[in-house]
Amino acid sequence: MRGDRRGCVVKAEQDIIAALRALAGADSAVEASPELEARVRQAFRARQARRKWNRAATWMLAAAAVLIAVLLIRQPHPRPAVVARDPAPAAVADESTTIPVHIAAPVKQRHARSRPPREIVTEFFPLIDAPPPMDRGEVFRVSVTAAAMRTVGLPVAEDRLSDRVQADVLVSEEGLATAIRFVKQE
Amino acid sequence: MLPEVLDRASDSMIEMGDAELLERMLAGDETAFTALYRARHAAVYRFALQMTGSVVIAEDVTQEVFIALIEHGRRFDPARGTLASFLYGIARNMVRRRMEKDREVEAIGEFAAEDDVLGDLTRQETIGQVRRAVLSLPGMYREAVVLCDLQDLSYDEAAVALDCPVGTVRSRLNRGRAMLARKLRCGAIAGGVL
Repeated sequence: MRGDRRGCVVKAEQDIIAALRALAGADSAVEASPELEARVRQAFRARQARRKWNRAATWMLAAAAVLIAVLLIRQPHPRPAVVARDPAPAAVADESTTIPVHIAAPVKQRHARSRPPREIVTEFFPLIDAPPPMDRGEVFRVSVTAAAMRTVGLPVAEDRLSDRVQADVLVSEEGLATAIRFVKQE
Repeated sequence: MLPEVLDRASDSMIEMGDAELLERMLAGDETAFTALYRARHAAVYRFALQMTGSVVIAEDVTQEVFIALIEHGRRFDPARGTLASFLYGIARNMVRRRMEKDREVEAIGEFAAEDDVLGDLTRQETIGQVRRAVLSLPGMYREAVVLCDLQDLSYDEAAVALDCPVGTVRSRLNRGRAMLARKLRCGAIAGGVL
């Protein structure tokens, strides 16, 4: 009895495998349309074109990055505004052609590459009658015309009066501009 | 002129192994891609057709599989299995996604054989009944039956394509065959066994 049942199961499995083989045989010649090949080949070409363009764009970007890096290394970096703590009042007693200048102390930098350019600054020239306290207040870096240098007695050629120069303005705690010095960057 | 030259070159490349063709294809060689397509597309197409019963979906899936190969061919790892298994794996995911999207494809419903089809496999309609019976199997059993019995993959290859252990492939295949046997015996179906 059990043997008969097992025999039936085996027979059923053999039959189903035979049925599936028949189906596989019937499908063996089935394949996608020729148009599909044309479509995937087109997709392949489009992908290759995209890849070539991406590669070219990457090279161009890399070249541009190198160029920018070179330019940045060569170009002098602007120096941040220096807060004036000069205790010595500006002396404009002598209005001769000699300009009293001092070289701003170099600031220690972490990397030699990012060192800012050296600055040459004049002494502070008072903008008010009474000499201001030079050790108090804030200094603001501004850009003015060279004509401002004349107002404090510095010599400026006529044809350079409209040139822009940088200056540090000392502003008192009350908010008054009390002194000015001029800056030259090397 | 150029397509003909490409065709001839592709045909001559079919003799090359899958790995070499894939390498050339990834380097931008269209003839290698065409050769690979010609060697492998029919199996992928048949798998999708036998899984879904839809010529339209089978074409779409085949196209998506080869586009995926173009885009992600570098993901193929020969240490994990053959390129055929890799392509079946992609096709299986595409089919599943497509069937989730088009629920009606899945909804083939219960299949009932009109006659004892196992006793007569020569007639075209009988083969059609077997096809419908396969399509009516639940997805996981259908995958095993299609890959192992219709596509003639080894258990190992099917396990790679289905991303499961070989033992799971065996048990799904046995269960799938048993379901088919009951579906194709009209008496059993009439009795509502499945």
